Amino acid sequence: MLSDPTGSWTPVALSVDLPPGTVVPARTPAGPIALWRSASGRPSASADRCPHRGMRLSHGFVRGETLSCIYHGWSYGAAGNCLRIPAHPGLSPPETIRVATHPVEEAGGVIWVGVGEPATQPPQLAGLVPLRSLQAQAGMAALEAAAGAKADENGLLETTQNSQEIRLLLAFQERDETLIHVLLDGDSSLLERIAVSRAVEALRRKAEAIEAEGSSR
Amino acid sequence: MTQDAMIDEWYPVGLVSQLDSFGRKTALMGEPIDVASDADGNARVTANGRTLPVCVRYGHVWSSLGQPQKELFAIPEADQPGRRFVDVGVVRVRCSPLRAVENFLDIAHFPFVHTDILGSEPHTEVQNYKVEIREDADEVWATQVKFYQPQAARSASGGITTEYMYRVPAPTCSVLYKTCPPRPGEWDVITLFVQPLAEDLCDVWPWMALFDDESSMTDLIHFQQTIFLQDRSILENQIPRLLPLDPGMEIPTRADLTSVAYRRWLKRHGYTYGAQLVAQ
Amino acid sequence: MKLYNYILSPSCYKVRLMAALIGVRLELRPVDFHPGGEHRGPELMALNPAGSIPILEDGDLVLTESSAILVYLAAKAAPEWLGSGKAEEAARVQQWLSFSGRLTASLGGARLHEMLLRPGDIGAFQAQGIAALRELEAGLFEQGLRGQRFLAADRPTVADIACFPYVALAPDGGVSLDPYPAIRLWSRAIRALDGFIEMPGIHRLHELKPEPHIEPGEA
Ligand SMILES: N[C@H](CCC(=O)N[C@@H](CS)C(=O)NCC(=O)O)C(=O)O
Ligand code: FES
Repeated sequence: MLSDPTGSWTPVALSVDLPPGTVVPARTPAGPIALWRSASGRPSASADRCPHRGMRLSHGFVRGETLSCIYHGWSYGAAGNCLRIPAHPGLSPPETIRVATHPVEEAGGVIWVGVGEPATQPPQLAGLVPLRSLQAQAGMAALEAAAGAKADENGLLETTQNSQEIRLLLAFQERDETLIHVLLDGDSSLLERIAVSRAVEALRRKAEAIEAEGSSR
Repeated sequence: MTQDAMIDEWYPVGLVSQLDSFGRKTALMGEPIDVASDADGNARVTANGRTLPVCVRYGHVWSSLGQPQKELFAIPEADQPGRRFVDVGVVRVRCSPLRAVENFLDIAHFPFVHTDILGSEPHTEVQNYKVEIREDADEVWATQVKFYQPQAARSASGGITTEYMYRVPAPTCSVLYKTCPPRPGEWDVITLFVQPLAEDLCDVWPWMALFDDESSMTDLIHFQQTIFLQDRSILENQIPRLLPLDPGMEIPTRADLTSVAYRRWLKRHGYTYGAQLVAQ
Repeated sequence: MKLYNYILSPSCYKVRLMAALIGVRLELRPVDFHPGGEHRGPELMALNPAGSIPILEDGDLVLTESSAILVYLAAKAAPEWLGSGKAEEAARVQQWLSFSGRLTASLGGARLHEMLLRPGDIGAFQAQGIAALRELEAGLFEQGLRGQRFLAADRPTVADIACFPYVALAPDGGVSLDPYPAIRLWSRAIRALDGFIEMPGIHRLHELKPEPHIEPGEA
């Protein structure tokens, strides 16, 4: 998470995990979001709650440039305004029906969502490309302890695991839960990629054991 | 939230057909209870050694933690010859018992949640219908509800416009009357009886009284289980878990007038177990 | 071919789904699994002493393991669903067919407990379910690196059908699918296959249909 006085950016997902025409659940420090990409490729983030009857919008579906709720099919545009209420085909939904939205930036294969109005852009991950995301039932401190290294102010952490160099981008989810994005050099071979992925799984096991021990004490 | 005015209501706590002397350990509004048959084969419900009121009706055993002021609501069709009575069986849902009832009163979700069975695009329009709180019976009623359905019942072949009437005779129970394909002029009766285990957890006992001489009992059970299990994944993902009774938190439209009346009726009676009063 | 079927059983759904995808017609014999417990009654116990469904009957042949039923249907009607037969691919198919039994025990156990009130150690079911989902996620991620979208190949096989139902229905047992991007993409790819059918708890991919244009009063 990158903070400035007016807001912060959270790396919520990798670009490859959000193909055009799909919606996925994600989390920011301000709460759960529905992260979606329109058919034309534009990513958007809205609160994960439909204002009609509270259904999670991340369970919905994307048609063209709109996100629809799975419960009664109300659809919303990228700006969060309600565009259509299928039960009342003749009605233009009033302006007041809308979901809260968040700014989204996509760079270097990572999707960042802003909370507040961050004055700066999300950090560049020079020379690195994302490999995969995985969630750990462990807080930042347990992950740092397992890695034997500290994350910097952008959430970047470098360490060596099973003599494998690994670089992670960490995003806070909850006190004892962290989203890990694995990064590596763009020219890594298939075998190197698999080795890094497995090394990060080993690191996760270690961090979760530390977390479990900490919370059972 | 307390158990409030709802404590004196009757709730379903088990199937009569599954009563045995070993008993079923369950709960009612947060209190552990035991539902068993006694030496004479009668239903007996106890909470911590205390014997609770019991009523056996509509295929289910009913009980209450308080002192019910009224008899269990009447469903006259339950005594009508020629109907088949279907015990659909229990399904647990991690949601407010009131949200489970409200979903049952809603037709606008049919095309999206019960796709190609109870509804389908482009037939999504909800036409105006009538809603009232009947003061004499103290029940919520919605009538003249019409909707286009691709497969309205197990016995239906092909799409028809179905007419519905909905009735809420108790805070966690609803009875729906629906056009009956094999018997024009009669109504099929489909109920949702909800046992509140906690404010955000319930056991749902659907039950039906149908005119259908064709389908096997198992087919009838499976049809209704299919419908309810499609709803379950919605109910477990509504936020907040509790039903918001104050306007502001959720936005109703004309299609939601039954839900609006249901919420108003709950609030008026102080039926708030499973509800959220203040927008959070 | 006769399938002893329960509409809410993910294991029976594997068979219905496979048959739908390859165009095999099944005669369905509904079983009152819940609330009736018919699968433990004399008629079905005589067919399958294990007291489980699905059961597939085809003439003299009686099959009681869903993986075997999938293989039977595919071998008869659409052998490409068995995989190409190359050593590594054949092994991967077997790997995930065996693995699917762990999904039944863990995620299936959690689902029966949370939904139909079956007794059991829910904490253990859920923990084992999460462990299995993580293995599947890692497996699918590595397949993606190899340029393959499905568990054993770049096309679906019986292994995908054996694993898909309990995974897709994990939330029924209180196990979230939110943390698994590779599983999400794979599940979507399966749901988008020609001939795909749903079961309760798995919603239609409404985006596969264009937005209808509706005039009021027309509906
Ligand atoms: N033989 C296994 C069994 C599948 C299974 O567990 N089926 C469940 C229904 S989903 C069952 O019959 N369980 C027996 C019971 O729970 O009583 C298979 O075909 O994969
Ligand atoms: S809850 Fe989203 S459309 Fe009704």
